[in-house]
Amino acid sequence: MKGIFFWPSGNRHDFYIPSGTNFQLSTTHYKHTGEDSLVVALKGRDRSAFAYLYDNYAGALLGVITRIIQKEEIAEEVLQDTFLKIWDRIDSYDREKGKLFTWMLNVARNLAIDKTRSKEFSKERQTGGLEKLVGKIDTQEKIELGVEVIGLQDLLSKLSEDQQFVIDKHYLKGYTQSEISEEFDLPLGTVKTRMRLAMQVLRNLLIK
Amino acid sequence: MNVEAYIASGILEAYAQGQLSSAERAEVEKYLNTYPALRKELDAIEDAQEALLQRMAIQPKSSVKESLMAEIDARERTRIPSAAETESFNWKWVAAAAIAFAVVSSYFALDYRSRWKTSARELSNLIAQNQQVAKDYNTVNERLDRLEMDLNIVNNPAFTRVVMKGTEQAPSALASVYWNQTSKEVYLSIQELRELSADQQYQLWAIIDGKPVDAGVFDLTKGRLLRMKSVNTGAVTFAVTIEPKGGRPSPTMETMQVAGNI
Repeated sequence: MKGIFFWPSGNRHDFYIPSGTNFQLSTTHYKHTGEDSLVVALKGRDRSAFAYLYDNYAGALLGVITRIIQKEEIAEEVLQDTFLKIWDRIDSYDREKGKLFTWMLNVARNLAIDKTRSKEFSKERQTGGLEKLVGKIDTQEKIELGVEVIGLQDLLSKLSEDQQFVIDKHYLKGYTQSEISEEFDLPLGTVKTRMRLAMQVLRNLLIK
Repeated sequence: MNVEAYIASGILEAYAQGQLSSAERAEVEKYLNTYPALRKELDAIEDAQEALLQRMAIQPKSSVKESLMAEIDARERTRIPSAAETESFNWKWVAAAAIAFAVVSSYFALDYRSRWKTSARELSNLIAQNQQVAKDYNTVNERLDRLEMDLNIVNNPAFTRVVMKGTEQAPSALASVYWNQTSKEVYLSIQELRELSADQQYQLWAIIDGKPVDAGVFDLTKGRLLRMKSVNTGAVTFAVTIEPKGGRPSPTMETMQVAGNI
């Protein structure tokens, strides 16, 4: 779980403590035995494994959903739907096709996009998403984490302008690569290679 | 395929971002299984994406988790376990046990079947043998009864034995008659007579008062006495001729085989 290192310590009290005895197991077990044993536990419909999954990924997924949906209330609804779908469909997850987080991310993104297409929802992209959302996240991080984590803005500032552009459009504004290509009149191949270069830079910064 | 060029195209990033059509996805998945380098690169991309998105996390209100877990519990209470799940517990052992049981059962079934078939065969052989023995026993018994009866006649002083010797036409022929002059019973014993054709029979005659009297027809039968027609007192000679099947009222003298006087 690469993302765990910056997990807000203030949220620890939110951990679900099962009525049984395996609280220790549920929170520490998978760090040692890895993603495969977590998946096995989930497929075995282990409630504490699911709680662990939520505690570790709900934030990242809500970030993704919120950036597509733009409305906090609806985004949390979609987050709940996402985890219910993960719970119901875990048997269809196949490690051969990618990591568990990637699979969950696709579930979340698809549900969020479906939501934006529903009648109750009128799609309106906000302008200045990067500045506003990064600002919001930074504020949150400062409140909850203190200063031990490099700010997202600092991280993105390591990218070239072109690279920042595609990361911003996709990860912060929820554009697909085709949408970026169409709206900003860039060849799809160019969007792809820029995205690749951007990810390589981030990889070196994020994964040590 | 040029793996490096494939990676450089950025298709794996697009895959990790869920940006590909299902056909493109299927192609990437096929290559992932073929080229370990692609798998390694994708893992790294996915890790980077996960780390990035964790940086951009927005924490939900704690009420979201509470209502989610309540919903999960509600679902679990009404859920019927899927076949895959109940199986996943230890289906391998169940399958192994079932196969082992089937193999052992089949072995015993085959073994018992072959034993049963052998037993059934042996039993029907025994029944057949038993029937044969019973038949043989009856045959022997009948023969014994007849021999006893014949012996009684031969040993009975009331019977007169008349030896009939071969005539000129059949010098080696020989037969005997046992005649009880009181009861009139006549028995014939053949020692040597020739085979006849299917349309012929032997006929025994008694000569009484110079006239031949029919004493019955017979076929060539050796080893036992043949009961003939009763013959009244006064017979002086017995003779056997060959006649058409069923006999004739009077003998054909030219075919006389044996004859003997009392």
